[in-house]
This record gives sequence, structure tokens and C-alpha cells, in this order.
Amino acid sequence: MLTLAHAGHWAINLLYVAPLLIAVGVLGFQSMKDRRQLRREGGDVRRPPAEGGQT
Amino acid sequence: MHRRRLLALLVVAAGLMLVAAPEAALAHGIVGREDLPIPKWLFGWAATVVLVVSFVGLAVLWPKPRMERPAQRRIARLPGVLDPLAGAIGVALFAFVVYAGLAGDQTATNNLAPTFIFVLFWVGLAVVSAIFGNVFRALNPWRAIARVVAWVADRASRGGLPSPMPYPAWLGRWPAAIGILAFAWVELAYAGRDDPSNLAVLALVYAAVQFAGMSLYGIERWDRYGDAFGVYFGLLGRISPLRWARDGLYLRRPLSGLTTINVVPGTVALLCVIIGTTSFDGFSGGEAWGEIVGQLTELWRSIGFGQGTALQLASTVGLIAGVLIVAGLYRLGVLGMQSVDPRNCTPTNELAGRFAHSLVPIGLAYVFAHYFSLLAYEGQRAAYLISDPLGSGANVFGTNAVTVDYTWISATQIWYVWVAVLVIGHVAGLVLAHDRALVSFGDSRTATRSQYWMLAVMIAFTSLGLWLLSAANS
Repeated sequence: MLTLAHAGHWAINLLYVAPLLIAVGVLGFQSMKDRRQLRREGGDVRRPPAEGGQT
Repeated sequence: MHRRRLLALLVVAAGLMLVAAPEAALAHGIVGREDLPIPKWLFGWAATVVLVVSFVGLAVLWPKPRMERPAQRRIARLPGVLDPLAGAIGVALFAFVVYAGLAGDQTATNNLAPTFIFVLFWVGLAVVSAIFGNVFRALNPWRAIARVVAWVADRASRGGLPSPMPYPAWLGRWPAAIGILAFAWVELAYAGRDDPSNLAVLALVYAAVQFAGMSLYGIERWDRYGDAFGVYFGLLGRISPLRWARDGLYLRRPLSGLTTINVVPGTVALLCVIIGTTSFDGFSGGEAWGEIVGQLTELWRSIGFGQGTALQLASTVGLIAGVLIVAGLYRLGVLGMQSVDPRNCTPTNELAGRFAHSLVPIGLAYVFAHYFSLLAYEGQRAAYLISDPLGSGANVFGTNAVTVDYTWISATQIWYVWVAVLVIGHVAGLVLAHDRALVSFGDSRTATRSQYWMLAVMIAFTSLGLWLLSAANS
């Protein structure tokens, strides 16, 4: 098993990932809002059926 | 959808494994302790803010594509003798480095070959290419030799030489991707990498492969797609505002040369190899890899390999894992992009190819940031090695007593260079991706939305790069 370091090391490393996690959360939320808005505006957000089975 | 989730889970799991591991301790070069006003991780946050602000700025201020039809103007005519002259210099340098590797002192620091290949050629020429354009094309020794041989053979056969075979479309830049991976393997996994004679032999083997490729598929075509270093420096040279052509030197907008890359199979793989192997180089210097490599080595030994081979196999696994993680991150960004506009049914591979050019400045940023300290310190060895390339005590230019000065740039300054280079490289990637999205998705709004996930990928690459570099002196 991989020997894990002290909690301090963990915390420091997590601080490098935190901006990414925050950005992904915000962008995911914004993306969802955009989809809802597109639907309200009458856009067809469904993917057209694939022709000839698997693509 | 299931495949996407699986890919996302795999990449996230790999990322968490890296984060969970103890902080790495050492990367390339010898760097002192920094005296920074804020913790290093805060630079990661600041870099993210810069990327987000750049993204918003692009969305608001860049509503139409500007890079797709690059304008260029000729600023100088080039004398016809320049190309053969540069080729002759390239051949002479190649021959001399191989000779030094074979005939010189076999201590790495006393022989020109290792410093020339790993520092001046791999890192130094990459930076030169990004600033001054693809100068390697003219200096390329195997291209120069092949052209002379082809010219002589054509004269001797009175124009009766058979035409080269058509280059297979499926082969694309795969030979180059494999070549760069092999070079990275020699640099990071091969036990004999410090032995100058091994490097010289490998250089000769590489040249032989190039001659075979050129004779089969034609010199220019192989140079454009198959020659790993020709392709590597060619891609980086497209960042430059200068373009070297047979009829002159052209000036263009920086980065605009990247928009005309012919994305053939293997192009995305090549860029992932460049970024992934550099990432592994950083990771492999740390404590975390120390733990993993021990277990991997044991695993290979339990199968029956000796200690040395097992260690090389373990490093090979790490190297390939680094490439796959980077490829997975990019793939996630492309899949996210694809999900933004469900009416757009562009296949994933095609979309990945369309945006591949945005990875080139990131690749350069990774290579330059990661190896900057190597270039700054180990590059100084060139001063004494040009006077004494074989380590025989010669003093041709009177510089063989020069020593490496580890104080000319401080660790703090190096850290600032790393951060600046990574941020600039990723902002450049964002600009290119945004510009291409405007073309691919039609309207500015959809283009901006499609880039949410490329922004996430850029933040991921920046955070990963800073995390790896922060390990250099912790």
C-alpha cells in the first residue's frame, strides 16, 4: 500500500486542487443554467438520433 | 454517456491519487530555497484568477475570429546559400556530438554529448524555435544528408530514381509521437542515459530510422510528419512571429502559425506525450514516486526481472501513465465542449483535433518551465565543454576553467519565471481555443459556453504544473 504522508501534506496538496474544483463547480452550474435558458428559448437541446445505430 | 463518466472517474481518481501522495521533493536542476511573500499554493489560486479573467475578457472583447486566416508579410529575402550552409552546420554539429560521445571521457559532465542533447538541443532549441521560428528545419542534419544523397543519386541515375511511396494517412504524426516518447524514455527511464557513448549510438540509430523513413516516403513529407524532432520543433516554431520559407523570411502575428496546423492522426497524441512526459519528469523526482516506484519495481522483480530492468519498467509505467492522464484530461475538456451544443454532432476525435493547436503553447510552457533551471544552470556547462568537448583537458577557446554559477539567478526568481511561463502558456492556449471555437460553433455565445470545459482543462494543467514545480524545493 502507498504510504500516505501527514495530514499537513494532504492539506497543502488539496489547496492546489481547490481552484480547479471550485471552477468545475461554478462552470457546471453555469452550464446547467445555460441549458435551461436554451430550453426556455425554444432551442432543441436533445441530441438528434444517431443514424445507423452506433457511431 | 457511460464512457464519459468512466473517463471522468478515471481521471479524477488518478488526480486524487497524486494529491493524496506525499508532497514531492525534487524536480530538475539544483534550486535553492525561495523567499516568497505568499505560500506557493496561493500562486495556483492567482493563476486561476488570471485564467478566469482572461476567459471573461475573451468572451467580451473577442467576438470574431482573428487568428484563423493568418496574414504575413515578407520582411527579408534569404540568400539561396543559407539553406545548404545551415544544413552543413547541422551535419557538422551532429557528427561532432556523436564523435564526442564515442571518443570522449565517459563521465557525463565532462562530455559534450549529454549536455548538448538534453539541455541545449531538447530545451534550448525549443525556446529558440518559439522565438525565432523553425530554425531546426534548416539545421536538421539527417534532412541535409538525405537531400545531398538524393541529389547525387538523382544525377547518377540521370533522373531515374523511383518516386517515394505515398505517405499513409493513418500514420500521420504517430512516428513523431513515438519518437518523442522514446526520447523521453531515454531521458527519464533508461539506466544508461548518463553514458555518452550510449547516447551517441542512440543518435546514430535515430538517424538511420530517419534515413529509412525519408527514402520510403520522401524527405519533406517525412520531415513534416515522421521525424520526431523535426515535428516537435516545427510545432513550437509556429508560435513564433517569424516564418522561414525558401523565398524569404515572413512576419506574422505570434501564435497565428498554429491555426494552420494540418491535424493528422497522432497530432493530439504527440502533444499529450510532450506534456505528459514532462509532468512525469517532475513527479518522478518526488517522494510520492519514490513510494510508488519501489512497489512497482518489486512487482516486476516478482515476475522475474532483475533490479535494473524492473526499475526501468517501473519508470516506463509511470511515463505512460503521465501521458494517459494528460490525454484523459484533454479528452474530458473536449467531451464537455461537445455536450454544450447537442445540435453540433461533430465526432469527438475531430473536435479534439480541431482544438489540438491550443495544446502547443501549453507544451512549450511545460517544457520551458520545467527545464528552466536545468537550462539556467546545466546550460552553463556549454561554456567549458566547447573548449574541452571530449573531457581530454583541451582548451580550444580558453574557457575550460569556467564553472557553473549557481547564484546568478535566485530560487525566488526561478519560481516567478515558472509561474509566469505557465500562466502565459495557458492564456495563449485559451486565446487559440476561443478563436477556434468562434469558427467551429458559429456564434460568440455558444463558442464561449463551449470553452467552459477548456477553461477547466487549462486550470487543471496550470494547477498540475504549479504543483509539480512547487515540489522542486519543498
